[in-house]
Amino acid sequence: MDPNAAIELKDLIKIYKGAAIPAVNNITLHIPKGIIFGLLGPNGAGKTTTISMMCGLIAPSSGHIQVEQFSVQKQKEEVKKIIGVVPQEIALYPTLTAFENLQYIGNMYGLKGDALKQKIQNNLITFGLDQVQHKKIDTFSGGMKRRINLIAGILHDPKILFLDEPTVGVDVQSRNVITEHLHFLNKNGMTIIYTSHLMEEAENLCTDIAIIDHGKIITQGKPKELIQQHHTENLEQLFLKLTGKKLRDH
Amino acid sequence: MLRLISTIRKELLILLRDKGGLAIMFLMPIAMITIMALIQDAPFKDYQEMKIPLLLVNKDTGSLGKAIEKGLNESKMFEINKQTLNDTEVKQTVKKGDFEIGILIPENATQQLDQNVDLFVTKKLSEAGLGDSVVAENQNTEPLNLSIYFAPDTKKSFRISIINSLKQSTSKIETQTLLNFFSKELNKDGEQMNDKEQMKDFVQFNEISTVETPQEALQLNSVQHNVPAWTIFGIFFIVISMAGSIIKERDDGSYLRIRTMPGSFITVLSGKIISYLFITIIQAVLMLLVGLYLLPLLGLPKLSIGSNVLAMFLMIVFTGLAATGFGVMVGSIFKTHQQASTFGAVSVVILAALGGIWVPVYVMPEAVRIMSEFSPLYWSLSGFHKLFLNAGTLSDILPYLLKLSLFFFACLATAFYFDKQSQ
Repeated sequence: MDPNAAIELKDLIKIYKGAAIPAVNNITLHIPKGIIFGLLGPNGAGKTTTISMMCGLIAPSSGHIQVEQFSVQKQKEEVKKIIGVVPQEIALYPTLTAFENLQYIGNMYGLKGDALKQKIQNNLITFGLDQVQHKKIDTFSGGMKRRINLIAGILHDPKILFLDEPTVGVDVQSRNVITEHLHFLNKNGMTIIYTSHLMEEAENLCTDIAIIDHGKIITQGKPKELIQQHHTENLEQLFLKLTGKKLRDH
Repeated sequence: MLRLISTIRKELLILLRDKGGLAIMFLMPIAMITIMALIQDAPFKDYQEMKIPLLLVNKDTGSLGKAIEKGLNESKMFEINKQTLNDTEVKQTVKKGDFEIGILIPENATQQLDQNVDLFVTKKLSEAGLGDSVVAENQNTEPLNLSIYFAPDTKKSFRISIINSLKQSTSKIETQTLLNFFSKELNKDGEQMNDKEQMKDFVQFNEISTVETPQEALQLNSVQHNVPAWTIFGIFFIVISMAGSIIKERDDGSYLRIRTMPGSFITVLSGKIISYLFITIIQAVLMLLVGLYLLPLLGLPKLSIGSNVLAMFLMIVFTGLAATGFGVMVGSIFKTHQQASTFGAVSVVILAALGGIWVPVYVMPEAVRIMSEFSPLYWSLSGFHKLFLNAGTLSDILPYLLKLSLFFFACLATAFYFDKQSQ
């Protein structure tokens, strides 16, 4: 295990029960600490399966996953303590207030008392939500919900943060606050694993990317270097060049 | 412990803020208990204490009319209304629905009975070469006709039982008359049978009660049936809310987020189960209070809950556990809220019907009674009946508690299996 690696995948394969082809087909990947890593790919490419295996949500059919110094297969509980997950869905309770949601999530990570309250307050101020903390989530706009969703994933100061489409469907201002804060967190040492269909955002946010298709990594590197290497103008063109223009509806 | 307490607090907050859900959980069973107890009050009384309205027109002044009237009174089945009407009027009054039954005893019925019996006895004695009288060959008896009118909707079984009851009343007077005439014919020159020496009952039925305590003397009335029955139904209806909560958490990513958090998922699930169990206990207590205080205000009997409070509490808790376990299972098997709520509602209604919630199991056909044995609502209702009607103790309800807990664990095992499959 490389001590500078946040995540290492070795010969990772996942074949779902009854499936003819693997969802993830022999992936080997090295993600260094302290980067913002974008795992990009069309629908059904294997992104979600790969990230779910990294988080310990599903078991690989074969291969090995290491998160920091812990084996995901053998030390799942240790892994869970150092990761944070921000799902694409607004994984919050709509009839609870923002504060109640964050308090519950904090408690689930073992945080409590004044320390938890202080953390919640700091994050709410950072994301401009301290004035509405006692309002129910179902009264919030899409952008406000996304910001709370992000706070819920970072409240326990994880070393590695998994983000699945964190800015989908939000207003420009909210998106700006989210991406700025992700940069801030990254500068403070947090490794961020990010998936998105927004290529422009990925190009601006990610320090490193990998494009996955049909369960395999088809390219990996720094966005600007890859764009130059493949003689394209931007990440979107690169993405289309490598994955094709054929619709991926399933 | 922090995770458990926090989950319980979160679940209770969500439940308390769900006004629609609360209405289904609390108002629906209250409404069901009240309405069903009122509706079923009359049918239950039919079997136990309600008197059938009977119109009696007795034109006979002799012993037969009196004997029939006395028999009807002694049966305590009827609310007798005596009137003086003709055949057509009796028929119309009964048809109109004012009375379930109309009985018309014609004028000189006793006299006609006497004549018939006299003729019969004389004929028989003459055939045997005894007695002095001679009966003409063509002299025959005409049966005495007592008219019984039934309301148009009277059931056949009920008609038969009424006619049997009347036959029982008249047969004694027939026999007595017959005996008197034989005695008269055989002792024309000697001492006649004393009128006061009435015929004895040679067979007597002794009604022996097995009731030993006042609690056991309670009968299954509308309140004793409907309050525990619809309380159990309400408790099981939590399946919809619970399954919906599980599916919603799965759909909105909360379940995924929880599973990426440290600690056992069983703690989170336990928090959910405890919260819903708490709600079911509140539900049950509220329903019992309805039976104790609200229903008597509506003219219904007061619910009797027995004296074993601990056993009753355990019965409520284990019923709640079975319901929450079922909710977890339904939430794990089905993918959408619509599927889960439809299946949840239909399955609870079927299990309720089989379990004797609507009508007691003992009035069901045998095949259905066998199926009832597999309904957790039946186990629960049987347990409550043991406590409420039979002064049952903890040991009496243990088999039901065991079945309910096995059902709970079976549901959880099924839920874990489906959850594993979906991963």
